[in-house]
Amino acid sequence: MSEADITLGAGHGAAMEPTFYGIQSKKLTMWLFIASDAVTFGAILFGYLYLRFGTSNWPRPFEAAGLVNGVIMTFVLLTSSLTMLGAVLAAKKGQKSTTIQWLGATILLGIVFAALHLREWFHMFHEGWSLSHNPMGGTVMFGAIFFSVTGLHLMHVISGVIALVVIAIGYNTDWLDAGHVETTGLYWHFVDLVWMFVFPLLYLMNVGR
Amino acid sequence: MEATHEAHEPGMGGYVGIWIGMLFIVGIEVFLTLQGLQPYKLLVILLILAFIESAVGLFYFMHLKYERRSLVWSLIPAVVFVLLMMNHIWPDSHRLVNLKVPISMSGPGDASGDTK
Repeated sequence: MSEADITLGAGHGAAMEPTFYGIQSKKLTMWLFIASDAVTFGAILFGYLYLRFGTSNWPRPFEAAGLVNGVIMTFVLLTSSLTMLGAVLAAKKGQKSTTIQWLGATILLGIVFAALHLREWFHMFHEGWSLSHNPMGGTVMFGAIFFSVTGLHLMHVISGVIALVVIAIGYNTDWLDAGHVETTGLYWHFVDLVWMFVFPLLYLMNVGR
Repeated sequence: MEATHEAHEPGMGGYVGIWIGMLFIVGIEVFLTLQGLQPYKLLVILLILAFIESAVGLFYFMHLKYERRSLVWSLIPAVVFVLLMMNHIWPDSHRLVNLKVPISMSGPGDASGDTK
């Protein structure tokens, strides 16, 4: 029985037109959410870029050595996308224990990313940076934008980790299926893709010469 | 219904290759940053590389390449349109902030033309 039959409640033997997108409703819902979240981050990053290039005293507080933490964070998040793919592939094959192991690795990498990020934040707080203070003496907008954008991304990472824990428990107890794992994987990959813009625009563009 | 797409998706080995490619792009970004390029030039290059990375992630990691074209055409043009529209609106809002005309409140004959 096709998904169209299930959703439309057609009787046996009725010929149904295939659905327009050919995917489960929850997957389409996640795609629509991702599209809206993408334009949200796009708006924020556009605003940041105009402010950055329209402000003469824009600070560049990051040093070349300080990029190591950002590179490690990028590596961790990219690797977590790879482990998430492992979970999705295993879930599609019905390999429950393998799926849980891959999900566990993804959750662990997400926690490592969040921990590295918070460590960097506290280091910047210690140096005097905040939402409304710039220890270098230039515009305070850098702190406001940096902590807002990275904070919004960090919130997405943490909520993604929580969702992955729920998915792992649900899949392990047969409450959820492989489709739920794949749908959550879409969200996790999106969070990674946002970081592909945040890291170069907020970190690399603000490295001092 | 989605089973026909799964036969064409890369396996874990293919995804590892894509992962290595994305790490390589990150390495290029860091290398170019340390070369001391002019900010505008660096921005253009970083944005191009970021779009390449996101396109690879979108089409392979998120499997959009293996979905129906209807999904691709429903999502991507709409997002691109909204992003382009925002790119045109932001300069206006930024310009309006700088073009604020000061209003004098100091009695008759002022710029506002109010009489009492």
